[in-house]
Amino acid sequence: MSDNTTAIEFQFWRQFRKILINWSLVRKILSLVIFIVLWTILVQFIGYFHQIPTPQAVLLAIFELPITVVLKNIGLSFLRVLAGFFMGVLIGFPIGVAIGYSRIANRLIFPAFEMIRPIPPIAWIPLTVLFFINFESQAIFLTFYGAFFPIVYNTMGGISEVDIRLPRAAMSFGVGKRLMLWKVILPAAMPQIFTGMKLAMGITWILVVAAEMLSNKGGMGYYVWYNHTVMDYPHVVLAMGIIGICGAICSIGVGVVGNYFTRWQRLF
Amino acid sequence: MSNAKEETLNFVWHPPTIKTKIFNLNTILSVVSIVSLFMAWALLVHFQVYRFSLLPSPAEVLEEGLGWVRTHVFWIDAFATTLRVLVGVLAAYIIAIPLGLMIGWKKVFSDLTFPTLEVLRPIPAPAYLPIAILLLPWQEASVAFIPFIDAFFPVLLNTITGVKIIDRDYFRAARCLGSSPKQIFWHVVLPGALPSISSGCAIGMGIGWMGAVVGEMITGKWGLGYRIWESYILIRYPLIVDGMIAIGILGFASSVLIRYLTIRLIPWRKAITESLDESITK
Repeated sequence: MSDNTTAIEFQFWRQFRKILINWSLVRKILSLVIFIVLWTILVQFIGYFHQIPTPQAVLLAIFELPITVVLKNIGLSFLRVLAGFFMGVLIGFPIGVAIGYSRIANRLIFPAFEMIRPIPPIAWIPLTVLFFINFESQAIFLTFYGAFFPIVYNTMGGISEVDIRLPRAAMSFGVGKRLMLWKVILPAAMPQIFTGMKLAMGITWILVVAAEMLSNKGGMGYYVWYNHTVMDYPHVVLAMGIIGICGAICSIGVGVVGNYFTRWQRLF
Repeated sequence: MSNAKEETLNFVWHPPTIKTKIFNLNTILSVVSIVSLFMAWALLVHFQVYRFSLLPSPAEVLEEGLGWVRTHVFWIDAFATTLRVLVGVLAAYIIAIPLGLMIGWKKVFSDLTFPTLEVLRPIPAPAYLPIAILLLPWQEASVAFIPFIDAFFPVLLNTITGVKIIDRDYFRAARCLGSSPKQIFWHVVLPGALPSISSGCAIGMGIGWMGAVVGEMITGKWGLGYRIWESYILIRYPLIVDGMIAIGILGFASSVLIRYLTIRLIPWRKAITESLDESITK
């Protein structure tokens, strides 16, 4: 009898400890702490890494941050990324739908795309500099180009891989062609379309940073490279962190919109 | 005897079926598509629409390209870029695949490493360049560092997903049959994740080419990316397009190679993972 109660008590305390301390969370925090400690130790005690700024230096650099300049650069980068991204969505999404939905459009457009696609977007920088008048339009073209192909290809893939039973079921209920596209095929393809958009967002940030590094027209990429040239490495790391936060905000934003458009998934 | 008979049967002359193949609608439309791309380019440049007069025409590009391919400069450039991409991307494979397998397999290991990687992930690869220049003593390594970063996270995330989508029953079955963790790793985790890893590798290779071009444009003395930037500065505009085409061909060839290798090496690759793969590649 007493044996039984102790077993129950033991179980209770085990559960209680599990509730009291979320060990997974503790380990996750520990991970970041270990990272920062390791970083400090490497920089402080190993001569090879002595040029890398310490976390303390990076933290102190926050107070010396020229806030208006940084905000202006963040704004510029955001503008370029979002303008290119939305142009990519506005142009790429209909083309992707057309290629995925219509066989003739696929055969007419797809081979030409396949010729252009393997060229990395960065390699277009010199031609865009020749073609476009000012830096804003060059940068927006580049981000547009980087966002375009992931969106087109994922929209196409998503539409062509819709479970064939769904349109068949809809057809047997007498659904017409237009309703089929809007109510059956596009919602079913949405998860993959948003996978493409997330990819596109990541690529636009890479492109914006690269393009800004190569020019001197502002933006966070320029800010990183400027601090590199004046050897202000704590600010370089800080700027990298800011770019990372901006990129994370953008991809979280895409994820939130994607959750809204794929809310039917939660029903299953 | 029977073999010889089959061979003779195979050598029976068939009337050519090419005629029907060439003139079906699909091939005609494909040819129209590609031809119209080049025609549009040629005509826009020829009639000097808007600022197209500044761009090189297809004929100039072809002429300059044929000259360029004959020089040793082209081969050194192509070799340098390929080497940088291969070094960076292979380093990413070597580090990211074991790491991803462990993160996907062991919850404790995942908790201890993944948050840090998640913090580093959104930083775009070109932004790492100043740190790479500081950290790595010679320039080649700092250029190869960008394809490394570019390829690292797609490979890592694909590997983790690959382990996570393995059916839990395989683990339970293996444990019931008394296999050690080592055996589970080699016979369940690794083979189960390989299809997803292979698609991650293909994506990594594609993005790695982009990274190498960025690195060469910003800091470089050789390579196709550097040649593009230099020919822009030296006003040899046709060479820009030739460089783009060369990078496109090499990048395409390397991803085709990876796809071919992985299809040969992983015969249990299923249709489901193939569709997943198509979805992830841009």
